[in-house]
Amino acid sequence: MSAFSNLLIPAVLFFALGFIARLIKSDLRFPPDLAKILSIYLLVSIGLHGGVELANADLGAALAAVIWALVLGFLLPIIAFGLLLAMRRVEPLDAAAIAAHYGSVSAGTFLTAIAFLSSQGIDYERYPLIMLAVMESPAIVVGLLLASWSRGRAAKASASRSEDTGRGQGHLGDILREAFTNGSVVLLIGSMLIGAIANPTAMESLHPFTTDIFMGMLCLFLLEMGLEAGRRFGDFRRVGLALGAFGLVMPLIGGVIGVLVGHLMLGFGVGGTTLVGVLSASASYIAVPPAMRLAVPEANPSFYLTLSLGVTFPFNVVVGIPIYYQMALLLVGKA
Amino acid sequence: MHRLVPEKLVTVITTDVLEHRLVAAVRRRGASGYTLLRAGGAGSDGLQSGNLEIDTNLLLKVILPPERMSGLLDDLDALIGQGYHLTVFVSDVSVLGHEKFERPMQT
Repeated sequence: MSAFSNLLIPAVLFFALGFIARLIKSDLRFPPDLAKILSIYLLVSIGLHGGVELANADLGAALAAVIWALVLGFLLPIIAFGLLLAMRRVEPLDAAAIAAHYGSVSAGTFLTAIAFLSSQGIDYERYPLIMLAVMESPAIVVGLLLASWSRGRAAKASASRSEDTGRGQGHLGDILREAFTNGSVVLLIGSMLIGAIANPTAMESLHPFTTDIFMGMLCLFLLEMGLEAGRRFGDFRRVGLALGAFGLVMPLIGGVIGVLVGHLMLGFGVGGTTLVGVLSASASYIAVPPAMRLAVPEANPSFYLTLSLGVTFPFNVVVGIPIYYQMALLLVGKA
Repeated sequence: MHRLVPEKLVTVITTDVLEHRLVAAVRRRGASGYTLLRAGGAGSDGLQSGNLEIDTNLLLKVILPPERMSGLLDDLDALIGQGYHLTVFVSDVSVLGHEKFERPMQT
């Protein structure tokens, strides 16, 4: 029963609706920019929530969460990169770009996990909210390092074509600045600061905005993400079966690592541990894709976007979250 | 009789993360202005639905005098050389009130 309970959350059902609408070739379509507006709403609202919690947080525990978020952000892309190179299905630069996505996080998946925990009546620690904000960007740095390492190796292999050096990378400083000043990252961290320093009584007046309508907005967002995933389902053939399998296996590896970190290193309960598992399992579709487009133009975006939006996101939303929850239960439950 | 003057129309289609670089090149090369639209489509980079921040293309149109065009094309060529996927094409157009196309944008 509990294995299927995730499927009966309205948000997940709306995701399925979007996906199916696309498969049956319905003309259902969001007006232009609605998805972008919903995404802004979700980031602001999650940021405000996180900020309020941050203001009441224990500094030591918050710091530990930040440090482990950084460790995961740096470690996961390296694991993903190794796995992709071992598979030998993509060029090293494609592997670097894909790997960066898997070190970063998906706010949509995270919010679905919160909807899942709420529907089960499970309380969760608030520190993963801070980790969500922190984990958006470090993977980009690792992705850039992996890409420049791949370029160096390729240059050595074809030393005669010296004109090729300098391809793509542009100015590293510019790219890092753009990665950390990415609109979504600024919005998330800015909202978090506002939530942390704003007068708590004044914040009460935002309750209808940040809390009451939140789940409804999430439903709309997931409906659009379902349409988006459905649209990319056709690209699946281009990606190929082996790479598609990577999009399913990598979140499971990340999920296991995240659950272990969540409980053993951070001492979270079932809820918080599940959320760290979800953070580690999810792949970015916010800050990483534009950074990779800019910094690793040689990599084909249809690989990383199809994997992130078309494979890993649906997998996590429908199947992954209950799995990470069960893992957390196993680890924490009996202790 | 209208007095039409021949100019060049350069159209660029590419990912919108390149917006700042393209606009900088357009300004640097002395164009009098530009028009920019968000766009969706599909091609060598796969699907660009235009619905999310991360998969939106842009369509940039610049009209400029023929003698200033090759500098801009050099910049676009350099981006392609770096590995970016750009669709660039040039058309002959005739413009009304050509004086405004002669004045570079204020920088």
